[in-house]
Amino acid sequence: MNDFFELIVSATASGCIYGLLALSYLLMTRPTGIINFAVGEWGMLAAFGGFLILSWLEWPYAAGMLLVSVFMFGIGWLTERLAVRRLVEQGAPPLAPILALLGMLVVFRELVSVSFGPDPRPVPAAFGFGRLELGLLAGSYQSFYIIVITVLVFLGAWYFFEKTLAGKSFEAVAIDRRAAALMGINLRRVMALSFAAAGTVAGLAGILVAPNVSAHYLMGLPLAIQGFTALVIGGVGRVEGALLGGLILAFAEQFTVRYANVPPGLAMGVPLVLLILFLLLRPTGLLKPKEARS
Amino acid sequence: MSAPLLELRGLGRRFGGLQAVADLDLHVNAGEILGVIGPNGAGKSTTFNMIAGSIPPSAGEIWMDGQRMAQLAPHAFAARGILRTFQHNKPFESMTLCENVMVGMHTRVRYPLWQVLAGTPGSRRAEALAASKAMELLDFVGLGEWTAADVSTLSFGQGRLLEIARALAGEPRLILFDEPAAGLTASECERLAEIIRRIAARGIAVLLIEHDMHFLMALAERVAVLNFGRKIAEGTPAQVQQHPEVIQAYLGNVRSQPHA
Amino acid sequence: MKSLLGYLTAAIVLSAVAFLLGDYQTDIYRKLLLWITLALSYNFLFGIAGQVAFSHFTFYGIGAYAVVILVTQLHLPLLLAVPITVLICVIAALVVAIPATRLEGFYLALATLAFAQLFIVLLNEGGNLTGGTGGLANYQLPPILGMQLKGPAYTVVIVLLMLASLAAVWRLDRSYFGRACRAARDNPEAAAAMGVNVRSTRILAYTVTSALAGVAGMVYAFVDNTVSPVIFGLENSFLLLFMIIIGGSGQHAGAILGAVLLYVMPFLLSPLIGHHHALVFGLFMVLAVMFQPAGLIGLWRNWRRGSEATGTRPANAPGEGRA
Repeated sequence: MNDFFELIVSATASGCIYGLLALSYLLMTRPTGIINFAVGEWGMLAAFGGFLILSWLEWPYAAGMLLVSVFMFGIGWLTERLAVRRLVEQGAPPLAPILALLGMLVVFRELVSVSFGPDPRPVPAAFGFGRLELGLLAGSYQSFYIIVITVLVFLGAWYFFEKTLAGKSFEAVAIDRRAAALMGINLRRVMALSFAAAGTVAGLAGILVAPNVSAHYLMGLPLAIQGFTALVIGGVGRVEGALLGGLILAFAEQFTVRYANVPPGLAMGVPLVLLILFLLLRPTGLLKPKEARS
Repeated sequence: MSAPLLELRGLGRRFGGLQAVADLDLHVNAGEILGVIGPNGAGKSTTFNMIAGSIPPSAGEIWMDGQRMAQLAPHAFAARGILRTFQHNKPFESMTLCENVMVGMHTRVRYPLWQVLAGTPGSRRAEALAASKAMELLDFVGLGEWTAADVSTLSFGQGRLLEIARALAGEPRLILFDEPAAGLTASECERLAEIIRRIAARGIAVLLIEHDMHFLMALAERVAVLNFGRKIAEGTPAQVQQHPEVIQAYLGNVRSQPHA
Repeated sequence: MKSLLGYLTAAIVLSAVAFLLGDYQTDIYRKLLLWITLALSYNFLFGIAGQVAFSHFTFYGIGAYAVVILVTQLHLPLLLAVPITVLICVIAALVVAIPATRLEGFYLALATLAFAQLFIVLLNEGGNLTGGTGGLANYQLPPILGMQLKGPAYTVVIVLLMLASLAAVWRLDRSYFGRACRAARDNPEAAAAMGVNVRSTRILAYTVTSALAGVAGMVYAFVDNTVSPVIFGLENSFLLLFMIIIGGSGQHAGAILGAVLLYVMPFLLSPLIGHHHALVFGLFMVLAVMFQPAGLIGLWRNWRRGSEATGTRPANAPGEGRA
């Protein structure tokens, strides 16, 4: 029975990671309609950043995580500046930035592969590898840490979109680019910020998951697929959807492996099957977007 | 008097609570030019789209050449001889003008795909024939010198001519024009009117919806006037212009001045 | 432009080359021909029919694994295994095409990407049937009609495959079907108004091109005499996409150029950057999308148009729009 509750904690933690990745997609997709395949690679970059600063340079965790987050903010901004801005402003077809980002995905991955080699690199956990027991729920320190950080991020994101003027301007751009521009909203800044923020969020996911899976140059694509599946399940309309989708995905994955006697290799198929099913049957996801308020 | 080519019987369409078109009886004969006018929101576009097959009617029937058009997919209308142009030109941007027109011939292709793969002489001849027919049509609408041009370089008026050539390529029995004069200069309008007359002279039934009164009244042989989804008048342009309900519908703003 | 004589000449020349090459060079030549074959069919799907799919290598894999399983595990003679494999490829392509083509743009890309990954998972977990992560190896092309197709003779088979694929996509492109594919991509509403059944056009395009990939896979199976999951994964799918974009999407010549360039480049670059040629490809991809979306073929045409303008070259005849 303990098993069951441990599984809940671990699935929640995984769900949080997927949710963060889904949020990263969402932050970029809402104002620009661009799907950035490279979020997984961003997570990978942050994981390697964590390796460099925390394992290799042995900085204290808080400082290291902050630095990596700032770095990822920059990476997000840079990605937009290099691969996206020109295309969007030229009025290129929507496929173009997606393809350019695909190219960037490969560039990021190869840069890391060249710099760090093919072997996985360790990244430390925030509070070490101990276990915590909260009543019935038990799990690693890192799992709880992940959950706490994720909740904070999502609260922040929700607050930003619901309560702040800047957040409303994002929504405005999402609904109608031209109208937003005519109202004085600086499109460039919104786009740059959305990518930068998305980079930070994806980076968080990367550095939070890295202690369990190690930083590896191939870790990007699976993360990207899981993140996108979470997004599709939850629906693009709402921030909460990203987290919901992530949790549903993680629970489906881990409970299938544990209780359905499915070999772990085949369990990797669970997000894929879910993604295909949702795309075919319910592409708008589970949560409907907010209706316009009067 | 032969049977009409197109017949609408009691045609109607609702969108939720809104009755966009109701109880519409209309017909067009082969070789005839029918104009459909009405103020904004009169249901012209809805009617047009039902005849063109892009929306299904909620009530009533459409009869084309003695056959009922029921439950057909949009792409099946072209095969039955109903071709249309679009008010906001919709060319195929990645193809040349000639190829654009050749797409119009899609329903007239007679040879199966395996012959294409095998490269049979029959399919090659048919392809060459199609290309030359497309060139003829481009000539007919006056784009003969532009066949090698990129679609994106065409002016709006030229794009309109391409729409017409493409629709003609489908060997229509009935051709539908969606506000063809919109956005054209005066001289382009004249040329357009001439083209439409020549199309009708070939025995093709023509139905056009139009806001430009001057253009339509000079061109159409018969006019039907819609208002609030219903037909309020039908007759020659002269008759319709005198009709009290028509005048009322336009609040006396029937513009018969020459197109600016 | 391409006549029977042209194909015959190409067949003879390309086959003659096969007889002149040593073992190592033959391997490179065969793989190059296979990449060109795949690029041609993928170019039709992506560049002409406008479907962003990542499933091409999956069908390549289905063809390869199918023929190997039929021959080595079901012990079917080649004369039976080949048509059955082709049938399997067509059916698999159709089965995927029907739901997949309901999706557009990015959703199609994701669904096919998931499908591709799923295929790899199934291969890895396939136990004895698929050989698991190691795949299947140590088999040979069985003799046909008493003859053993080896060496240059098999290379000729690949040459014929490539030319047949070229002929197929070329002819389809230049026909009412090719125009219907482009029309359905450019403006589905207008296409439907002209009588194009957009849905079945999409299904047909996906099915034909994926089946072509499957047939190429069937031929590939006997090149290395080994099939394993990693070959049919996403890496190669991305590479294929890069080839098309860099060469020039929508143009057959572009597909060939892209395939040759990206296949040959690693050999030339390896003294400089070792195995990290993917970095260069990724960069070129980004540059191509940003600055020259028409690819290298686009560059060539701009040069041609430039020399037309200065009177050094005659303009295209009407209808001769594409290479």
